[in-house]
Parts: sequence; C-alpha cells; structure tokens
Amino acid sequence: MLLTAGLGLATAVVVIAQAWLLGNATAPVVEGRATLADVLPLVGGLAVAFGLRALLVGVQERYAHRAATRVVAELRIGVLEKAVGLGPRWLAEGNAASTTTLVTRGLDSLEPYFVRYLPQLLLAVTVTPVVLLVIAGLDLLAAGTILFTLPLIPVFMILVGRLTQRYADERLVVMQRLGTQLLDLLAGLATLKALGRERGPGRRVRELGEAYRRTTMQTLRVAFLSGAILELLATLSVALVAVGIGLRLVFGELDLTTGLVVLVLAPEAYLPLRQVGAHFHASADGVAAAQEAFGVLEEDEQPRGRVPAPDLRTSTVSFEGVGVRAPGRDRWAPADLSGTVRPGRVVALAGPSGAGKSTAAAVLLGLVRPDRGRVVVRPASGAGVDLAEIDPRTWWDQVAWVPQRPALLPASVLANVLGADAPAGAVDEQVRRAATLTGFDEVVASLPQGWATPLGHGGVGLSVGQRQRLALTRALLGSQQLVLLDEPTAHLDAASEARVADAVRTLARAGRTVLVVAHRRAVLDLADDVLDVVPLDQAEPSAVTA
Amino acid sequence: MTAVAAPGLREQHRALVRCLRLLDLRRGRLAWAVTAGSLGLGSAVALIAASGWLIARASQMPPVLDLSVAVVSVRAFGISRALFRYLERLASHDVALSGMGALRERLYSTLAAGRADAVVGLRRGDVLTRTGADVDAVGDLVVRALLPAAVTAVVGLGSVVLVAVFLPAAAVVLAACLLGAGVLSPWLTARAARRAEVALADERAELSATALTLVDSAGELQVSGRTTTLLAAVSRTDARLAVQADRAARPAAWAAALNLAAMGAAVVGALLLGVPATTAGTLAAVELAVVVLVPLAAFEATSMLPAAAVQLVRSGAAAVRVTALLDAAQPDGTPSAGSPSVGVAETSGAPSTLGARGVACGWPGGPVVLEGVDVELRPGRAVAVVGASGVGKTTLLLTLAGLLEPRAGSVRVGGRDPWPLDRATVSETVVLTAEDAHVFDTTVLENLRVARGDVTPDEARAALVAAGLGPWLAGLPDGVETRLSTDATTVSGGERRRLLLARALLSPAPVLLLDEPAEHLDAAAADALVTDLLETGRGDRGVLLVTHRLSALGAADEVLVLGHDGDSLADADAPPATGGPGAGPARVVARGTHADLVARLPAYAWALAQEDTGVVDVGPSARPTVLPPDVRTDQR
Repeated sequence: MLLTAGLGLATAVVVIAQAWLLGNATAPVVEGRATLADVLPLVGGLAVAFGLRALLVGVQERYAHRAATRVVAELRIGVLEKAVGLGPRWLAEGNAASTTTLVTRGLDSLEPYFVRYLPQLLLAVTVTPVVLLVIAGLDLLAAGTILFTLPLIPVFMILVGRLTQRYADERLVVMQRLGTQLLDLLAGLATLKALGRERGPGRRVRELGEAYRRTTMQTLRVAFLSGAILELLATLSVALVAVGIGLRLVFGELDLTTGLVVLVLAPEAYLPLRQVGAHFHASADGVAAAQEAFGVLEEDEQPRGRVPAPDLRTSTVSFEGVGVRAPGRDRWAPADLSGTVRPGRVVALAGPSGAGKSTAAAVLLGLVRPDRGRVVVRPASGAGVDLAEIDPRTWWDQVAWVPQRPALLPASVLANVLGADAPAGAVDEQVRRAATLTGFDEVVASLPQGWATPLGHGGVGLSVGQRQRLALTRALLGSQQLVLLDEPTAHLDAASEARVADAVRTLARAGRTVLVVAHRRAVLDLADDVLDVVPLDQAEPSAVTA
Repeated sequence: MTAVAAPGLREQHRALVRCLRLLDLRRGRLAWAVTAGSLGLGSAVALIAASGWLIARASQMPPVLDLSVAVVSVRAFGISRALFRYLERLASHDVALSGMGALRERLYSTLAAGRADAVVGLRRGDVLTRTGADVDAVGDLVVRALLPAAVTAVVGLGSVVLVAVFLPAAAVVLAACLLGAGVLSPWLTARAARRAEVALADERAELSATALTLVDSAGELQVSGRTTTLLAAVSRTDARLAVQADRAARPAAWAAALNLAAMGAAVVGALLLGVPATTAGTLAAVELAVVVLVPLAAFEATSMLPAAAVQLVRSGAAAVRVTALLDAAQPDGTPSAGSPSVGVAETSGAPSTLGARGVACGWPGGPVVLEGVDVELRPGRAVAVVGASGVGKTTLLLTLAGLLEPRAGSVRVGGRDPWPLDRATVSETVVLTAEDAHVFDTTVLENLRVARGDVTPDEARAALVAAGLGPWLAGLPDGVETRLSTDATTVSGGERRRLLLARALLSPAPVLLLDEPAEHLDAAAADALVTDLLETGRGDRGVLLVTHRLSALGAADEVLVLGHDGDSLADADAPPATGGPGAGPARVVARGTHADLVARLPAYAWALAQEDTGVVDVGPSARPTVLPPDVRTDQR
C-alpha cells in the first residue's frame, strides 16, 4: 500500500514535469523564438520523464499484486480456520457450500480490487489535486473550470445511479432468471432425451436467448449511462478548458507555453477518476467478497470450555436427557437420550436410521451442543463435569473417531494412517498387524504404490468402505481411550464385517472404551451395553417425555 | 511461446475461429460497433489535435472569427467522444449477445440431435453448467478483444494519416511506435496470461480440494487434531500461487511500461523531427503542436490491447471446451436423430415390448462392464435388477432405453433397435427415469409436462398425490403452479425422487425404466414405494427398476442379480478401476423370484437380513400412499 501511495506521488510529479517540458519545448518553436538546439535539453528531459513514467507503471504492475495475494491468502486461512471452529452444525446450516465458494472463487475477486481499483483511487486523491494545484498556479480560470466540473462527475454518477438503480435491479433479476433457465435446459438435456422430448425446447432456447438479449440490452442502456456521463464531463471539460485558453491567447491574456502545459495537464486531472469509474465493478465484487469474509470472521463461536478433561481411563461419560432439534424441522433426533459409557466397555448406539445416532455421537464429541440435557464426565473420584465446560483439545486428545465418511488428506497412505509426520519408507510391523486386522491390508495391496500411494487430490481416491478401514486402522494404532465408530460396517459384506468385529474385540481387550453406532446384528451382538436412540416428531419434547 | 503452450495455442486458435463462425455475428451491427468505437476514440485524438491547433493558432492572435471552426470542433469532439463510446458499447454488446444466443442454440440443437451417449455422459461432472460460462467467455471475445483490436487499428491508422498530412517522417515514427506498443505489449500479456492459466489451474484445483476437505470433514479433522496440517497445506498452495502470480506479473509489467515508453518515443520523435522542420519552414508552426500532441491521445487505443490479449487467452480456452463438446456430440457413424426414423412399418414384435438378448454394455471408449444380459419386459410384468453399486445397473438401463449403444447382443423396443431410432419414437414405448434426472427451473406442472405435453393440472395433482407428495403439494404457495428452483431449497432429496416418479407415471410409454426410485427415502417408505411400483407392473404397464434394497422385491415377477463370480451382494467396495478381484465384466449371477433367490442364494438371503426391517417410526407425511388405479392406467 505504501508502495502504491509512493508511486502515486511520484506519478504526479512526473506527469507535471512531462507537461511542463512538452509545453516549454514546443511553444518557443511555434512562436519562432527557438531552434532544435535551444530546446534539445528540454526534449532530452521529456524523454527521461516518459522513461520514468513507464518505469513507475511497470513497477506498479510488477509489485501491486503482491499485497493483494497476501491479503487474499490471509483471509482464506482466516475464514477456513473460523469455519472449522464454528463446527459441523454451522456448516450444515447451508454455510458449507457458501464458505467453499468464498474461499475458492469469491476471495479471488479481491485481487482486481487491490491491483486495479485501489491504486486508481489513490491516484485520484494524489495526482488529481496536485495537478489541479499546478494548473491553478499557471491559469486560475482553467483551474476554476476543472474544479467546477470535477465534483459534477461523482454527483451526476450518483444521481444517474440512483435514478436507474431500481430499473436496473428489476432487469437484473429477469436477466439472471433467463440466464439460469437457458443453462437449465442444457443441463436437463439428458433427462429430456431419456423421455424423448429433446426436440421441443430447441425453439425455447432461441426464444430465451432472444429474451435474454433484449432484457440485457435494456439493462445495459441504463447501466452504461453513468459511464457515459463520466466520459462526457471529462472530455467536455477538457474541451472547455482548451477553448478558454484559446480565446484568452487571442487577447494576449495568456502565453502559449502556459496554454500548452495546461492543455496537456487537464486530461491528467480527470484520468484517475475515469479509471476509478472503469474499475468500479471490480471494486463492487471485491467489497462484496470482503464483506462476506468478515461476516464469517465475526460469526459468534460458542465459548469453549477451559476445564481440562478428566482421565477417560477411569471416568464414565453419561448422556443425561440429551435432545437435539433437527435444524428447521419439528423433529428431535435424539429426543431424550440417557445412558452411561463406562471405561473399557463396548457400548452400542442403536436405533433406526434418522433417529439421531450420529448426532448423539457428535454431541459426545463436543461438536454439537445439545438443545436439551447434557453430557457429564465423572472421574472415579470427584464431581462430574459438564462436557460443555471441558477444554475440547484435552477431550479430543483422548478420543479417536471413525466417521461415516472419513476424510482423506493429500498425502501418502501411510501418512494418512500415522499422521503428517510419518517417517517415509519402511512400514513397521505394528502398522501391518493393525492393517491386517481391519482388512485395510487388502486395500493397500490393490493400490499402485502400496503404502506410499498418494491419496487425495491428484492421487488415488478410496471408496467410503476403504476409507473407513483406513480410519479404523488409525484408531487401532492410536492410544486414545475412547474410540467412536460410526456405522463401521454399513458398506461391508459379511466377511469384512467379521473383521471389523475382530478389530472391535481387539480394542476392547486393550482396555479401550468403544462406542459404536450400528444397526446391524453382528455389531450389536458385540456390545456390552446398548443405548437406544429414539427420535420424536414434535416441536417440544417435554410433552411426551414428561 | 513456451514449448508446452505451443500445441495448445494452435488448437485454441482453430477452436476460436470455429466458435466465431458459430456466433453468426451480424455483420452490419458489428461494422456499426467498430465505426462507433473508432469515431469515439477518434474524437479523443481529434480533440487534442484540434485543441493544439486552436491554441497554437490563437497565440498568433488572428481575428477571433478565424478560430470559430476550431472552437466549434473542439466542443463537438468533447461531446462526440462520450456519445460514440456509449453507442459503441451498446452495439458491441448487442452483437455479442445475439451471437451468444446463436451459439447456445447451435450447441443445444447439436447436443439434442447428437449421440445420446455423449449427452448422458456429460451430465456427470456438470460439464453443461460450465458450458454456460464458456459460451459467455466466447461472446466476451467480441466485446473485449475483437472490437478493441479493430478500433485500435482504425484509430491508429487514422492518427498516422493525420500526422502524415503535416509531417510524413513523424508519421513513420508514430506508426513504428504504435506497432511496437500494439503488437509487442499484447503479445507479452497474452504470454503471461497463458502461463498463469496453465500454472494456476492445478494449484487452484488443489486449493479447492483441500478447502472442500476442510469444510466437509471439519469435525473429524478437529477431533483428530489434523486441522493445522490441512491449513498448512492451504498456506503452501497459496504461497505457490503467489509465486506463480509473481512470475506472470513480470511480462504484464513490461507490457504496461512498453505502451508508455512507445508513447514517449513517438512524442520525442515528433519533436526531434518537427522542430527542425518548423525552423526550416517545411512545417507550419501551428501544425507542430498537432504533430506533437496527437501521439498523446493515439496511445490510448493501444493501452486497451493488453486486456484484449488476456480475453483472447480466456476465450480461447473456453472455445476449445465448446468445440470439444460439439465434436463429442457429432452423430458420427450413427444415423442422426434428425433423419427420418427408419422403417416405420417394420414391426416384428408387439409394439409395447422391450427385449434384450445377450446384451453387453459399457460407455463408449470404456470397458464392457456387464455382459450376457437377457431381459423380457411387456405390460403386466415387473422386473427388478439388483447388484453392488458400480456393477453396471445404470449402464444397463441406459442401454435398454437406447441411450447407449449395446456393445454386443441386441435390444429391441417394439421390435426395433432403439439405438439408431429417433428418441421421440423410442419414448413412445420406453422411458427412463435416471437417478440424477433433472428437475427444471420452472413450475411443478411444467416439470411434469416434460413427460407428456398435455398433462392437465388435475392429472398433475393426482399423480403427485399418488407419488406421496400430497402434503408437500398442499404446502406449496401456488399449488402445481409453484415455481421450483434447481437448488435443493424447495425440494428435498426424497421429494425430488417422488416428483420424478410422478413424472414417469404421467408418461404415455407402456414400459418404464426406473433407476433407484427409492433412494433418499427411509426404509419403510422405500419399501412401500418399491412395492407400489412393482404392483404397477401388474396393470397394463411393464416396469423394470434398479434398486439396492431387496426387502420389497417379493412383488417382482423376476429379480436379476448382477455381479461377478464369487462376489457377495453387498460388497459396494472395490471400484473396478483399482484392478481388484472385481475386474472384468459382470453378468447375471442369478435370476428368479424373490422367494426363490432367498432360498437358493445365501448371499442374497444374508444381504436381505442386513436391511432395516422397515419398521421405522417415520412421520405420516413421509409415507407414500398406495398409487390409485387411475394413475396407474393413465395413458394415452
């Protein structure tokens, strides 16, 4: 930014020097007072001035984007961090898609804002006033003309903008609708073909295209008006200045040198303003993106607990009347869940699909705050602590979670199992054994480079079942006391399911607590305790459960 | 150009030329746009030339009347500049918009008449949605690249001629400088843009993928403490993006500097040549001002060119995608759907039956995923197809519907091969409702009329109620006239399925092919729906449905189990691409009635046992009602 401001001031100086040199090199020759030899130093100076101005523009183009890239990168990380912190529930409320769009495409529109719009705005507040001052020093009347017309530009633009805004907005809505419908017909072509009705809409595409053109043109006729006003005022003012100078020259009120200098300078006073107008849309998009980003950053995060989590090896975890309202619906899933998870036991969360088993698991993980009831952690000795008061980091350190669709990180298979700091190369015996137990060894065997195969973007994808086996292997290798498995066998056949059951038994033998979400018999049979999750289709759960 | 970009470049140019032809630009309108643009920018040059002349002449203190022409022209040029610019913008956008309309229409008609498999394949990955943006990018070429280039050429030439009238030598210098700025600087910019486009595309894709993972698996990553790992990955990608952007900025900076340097050279050149000429008397003193000042305005034209070059690169990439799409849909080899349908009189089978003998299917260019399938379908018969996901159930449906060419064997619809047949003819007998069938951005009624043009509102309401959408319909503000948007804000997954079902039931075809009609429904609702659909087959319709739930298949006349030898039914893992045990085409591993398969096939019985019993507490609104007979028999 400092660079841009410095460049702005330097540009102002060079622009003035350039005009002065040009006027002084030309006028004496026109008046027949000088030859090339007399003005040669001035011409040389002019060449230097042009060179400097080219250099300034080059430097601006070369480095201006750096600040933009930095700001975009910072906002990107900030928004992502915040979105993750706001948790799955916030993301599920329709914020996931908009956040992804914002951090991938939205924030990129900040770049033209920083690289094009802001520098011109800076030039408008540096070059324009300095040039105006110099003109005033040379010819007060010309300066007066410019000073009078300059403010008219924003005034007229705002006025025209105000008058046409509603009309343009209405048209814009129609325009967008027509645009979507056109795309919609293209997108639905496969469906139309399947029904043998692809021929009819051909005419509709033409009609829509024609309607789209008409509406857009109506919008543009109005939208281009403000640009035209700007252009008109800028050029007409220059013309008026030129005519004014000409008439005063005739009467000898002004000398030619001054006249030429002012003539060359006058357009320079308007140039930054014209550029600001030209890049106005870039600014609008950029501001919108920035506002959206700050909206996310200012979102209220639930206060995090500060109490360190009790040792889960000796503590029990209890659901006490936990109810979660399904977003936007009169449904509680789970409705009123109570039950205790004791250390070292295999506990199943059972219930039909949609009952809220996964939500109950998310509550236990501290990712979703229950709308009703609470989860309490009770150490062997001492008072119980509400999960909401526990520092999530200390809680998560003791929990391993295998979700329904485990994430793949862009790294090797081994790094995905062991974490980012996995040593490259040799796979130790322990990892192999865990993989054999979960059946992940078969998955690894089918991959082109075995354990070293890169996963994620640009690498190999894994099916949901394969990912779950990967995550289960990771859980097996970890040392977290509580292992939470969400439908670990939903995508598996009988043989694979038996393996998962073996893995659960191994975990239990190691003294770890297992909480498993399941509705299949083979898994439910493993459980020491079963918690039944029941939903309720009602606005308030108390009516029934009381 | 770098060696990497060179082949793509030629391809881009070819694609651009082809797309431009398809834009079918209205020449008169385009010529007017160029004229208006040239007059607008020419006014700027004329303004400074006239002002220079006026001031220089005025300094000689002539009678004021001598100046009146100059004064009037200066004022006129001050106004005409903005006026013509406004007209030019309107004209150019008008030309581009109608061109884009023509291209869209051409694209639509080519795709509609072209190979069905190309279109059906395209739906995946939303290529078509991107196509909209690509068409816009091609259209932008007119406004942002072609027009500025043409205007620059005209105004540049005009300026040179103007200067040549006074001092030919200075005109030569100006021409050289304009050429340098007008060719070299866009070339540099285009190079930078192309480099950025190639290098940044990968990084951007990676950034999106990582951001998506972060947002999709936020909870899991937080619990396992891996958020920082991914955020670090985002930072690294951003850093690489910054390096690339920095590298691309260098030629762009040169381009910008070059334009100003060229302007400086032209002005200095004019002075160096003009001053001695004035002293020598070969150039009038007043004209020196014109010769020196004209370059100041003339280079405004070339300053538009770098942006035009960037647009050229962007439009080029878009044009390549658009032409690739057109080529994919070219009806090469297959009789075009536009040609009259073959052999109308040929009816070797009952008109309303669908039969397949030894059919093998697969996507063109891909492997054969399924082979040796025999199916017989006629009104009154209901068949279910089950199998692991990825086994080729959907591919089979597309082949039976005539949307994919069978790789072996034969398909007969009403006794004729449906693949080369006109789609409208095929759909008199067979219609397919795909799993991802489209819900159009229009009213509920119009969405149903996609199946049959003359559906009345009453018929529509009956069909919706029959498909279990009664309560949903009651909640719509304008009933069947309510507008649906394509995003899922008004229609949930389950409601969408039922809407598609209502559409299928309204179609006049006697044979219905349905892909996963019960997806997104809970177990009980799914089973009730599948039972209903299979019962539909008892009337005068034939139904073939693909499903992954077995519980309700007791109502089917026949169940086909697809798979590989040794596979179990529920094994949804092992995508064939990894070359696991599932490689090679699948086939019908078993067929029979539901009861028969339960008794005979342990894997079938096991998979059935794993399913929810369907005794699930669902809201009353979620359960579809039994289809009333009037909808089942609604045909004409």
